[in-house]
Amino acid sequence: MPDTVVCVPVGLEVVLWRAVAVFRFAALAYAVVLLLTHYPSYHRVWLAWTTIGVMALWTTASAVLYGDPGRRGWPLLVADMVVTVGCLLTTTWVVPREELGYGAHTLPMAWVAGAVLAWAIHGGRRWGAIGALIVGAADLLMRGQVNTVTLNGTVLLLLAGMVVGYLVRRALDAEERLQRAVELEAATRERERLARGIHDSVLQALALISRRAERIGGETLELGRLASSREAGRIAGEVTELGRLAAEQSEALRALVSVQPPPLAKGMVDLRESLGALAAPHVSLAFPAQAVLLRDDMATEVTSAAAAALDNVRVHCGPSARAWVLVEDEGTTVTVTIRDDGPGMPDGRLEEAARAGRLGVQQSMRGRMRDSGGQATITSRPGEGTEVELKVPRA
Amino acid sequence: MTRVLVVDDHPMWREGVARDLTEAGYEVIAAVGEGRQALRIGRSLEPDVVVLDLQLGDMSGVDVIRGLLATHADMRVLMLSASAEHQDVLEAVKAGALGYLVKTAGRDEFLEAVRRTAEGDAVFTAGLAGLVLGEYRRLAAAPATTDDTPRLTERETEVLRLVAKGLSYRQIAERLVLSHRTVQNHVQNTLRKLQLHNRAELVRYVIERGLEAD
Repeated sequence: MPDTVVCVPVGLEVVLWRAVAVFRFAALAYAVVLLLTHYPSYHRVWLAWTTIGVMALWTTASAVLYGDPGRRGWPLLVADMVVTVGCLLTTTWVVPREELGYGAHTLPMAWVAGAVLAWAIHGGRRWGAIGALIVGAADLLMRGQVNTVTLNGTVLLLLAGMVVGYLVRRALDAEERLQRAVELEAATRERERLARGIHDSVLQALALISRRAERIGGETLELGRLASSREAGRIAGEVTELGRLAAEQSEALRALVSVQPPPLAKGMVDLRESLGALAAPHVSLAFPAQAVLLRDDMATEVTSAAAAALDNVRVHCGPSARAWVLVEDEGTTVTVTIRDDGPGMPDGRLEEAARAGRLGVQQSMRGRMRDSGGQATITSRPGEGTEVELKVPRA
Repeated sequence: MTRVLVVDDHPMWREGVARDLTEAGYEVIAAVGEGRQALRIGRSLEPDVVVLDLQLGDMSGVDVIRGLLATHADMRVLMLSASAEHQDVLEAVKAGALGYLVKTAGRDEFLEAVRRTAEGDAVFTAGLAGLVLGEYRRLAAAPATTDDTPRLTERETEVLRLVAKGLSYRQIAERLVLSHRTVQNHVQNTLRKLQLHNRAELVRYVIERGLEAD
């Protein structure tokens, strides 16, 4: 087995959480600077420093905790909000109340946005807004009055929460889609590789087995007849059955591993692809070398009608009857002919049966073709099999 | 005794085919797995019939056909392939292969095909008839149709459609009230016209490229 290179790309989410951690450290540094420049006017400077200490601890702890995908969840987010609002509210006992009313900065200042960003990244636009409203409400409650100056911070937080939440959702969706596309491409490549391998070996071996079995079966049968041995006859039957199984498997495998065609124009289908699913040991398909494009609904109707015709062959002529499917692309019309080598029917038999209310298959086939603007013609002669011709216009 | 060269890159298959042929009274002069070997042996030993797999390891079956027929225009090539890669099969026929058979064909069908190829008859399966029919329609619908674009007569189209629907030459002869030989000629003609056109196209292409290079 080839070595598998396990490549874990750094996802967008990891980057976002790191950015929040960096933001918190920067905001913490700013809060320290503000405290150093303003503390002479503050009450209880010890409480201010304690708050800064708690903020520093939480900044470090949250950086570690959010870095672990297993811990990113509502317990952590709620704890984050509690610590943040708590640090914000200690401002009441530090900064003089009248200054807060005029819009003085709080102790944590921009640091409170860390929790809002966390909620936005985790929960999207709505939770970003809710987080911003919680912090904003605590802020306004503490300031005691609502005016343009005090409202400013809350509005900014709200905007940040919503915009970040929205962008993150979109970006993560895009990342997921890209991931899916990459996986699909890898799967397709693997499928093609397998298909090549199977074409080169398994299919050929199966075909060989079926040929050998056919031959050995025939010879054993002959031997059995000469020696009038029942046992030989039984073995011959089994070998022939094995050969038939091998042939069936090779057809099934071929259909399974057929390499995906390049994408076509939207809503168009290569009729050869959809009819290709009807391949079976007794069914021979004759197609042009170029794609036969049809609108997908029409291709579905034609394929269903062709499948119904082939079912009919099996029902009326037995499992050993052979059938041929011919696809002709005449530009403005596409013709699909299904012929069998069964006993056929005398003239007028179809009409007679239709009058007697039978031949549901033929009728449904004709109905399908009429619905898609085409027509189905059924011709048959005794001893010459039955031919069903499906014609659809290319609208 | 008809001398046959078997070319197939699958050893088990190659041996199986060679054994079937030997048992049926053919002289298998060589069974090789590579296109280059096939070209060398084919040119020096001049087999009557080449049974050729379309997918080879070192070069495409179509190139082997071109290479062989370039020096031995009357060599008879029967193609085999594990799956019906439509475009490849068509290219091989246009390059001059006399017939085509999928590998899922039974032993009797295969031996019959070799017998007919040895006689110089085209081995037309229904699938191949469908491809040839499609190719004529494509040529007729192409914008650059000229007087020398090959066309099918009404009779040829009729015959080819019946082959594509799985009728045997005998059945076709009965249905159209023709002789077996006439049906065979019609089928052969459809192929020959395509091959001639293909050769003319190749020559024209080479000349145009040659003039541009000056």
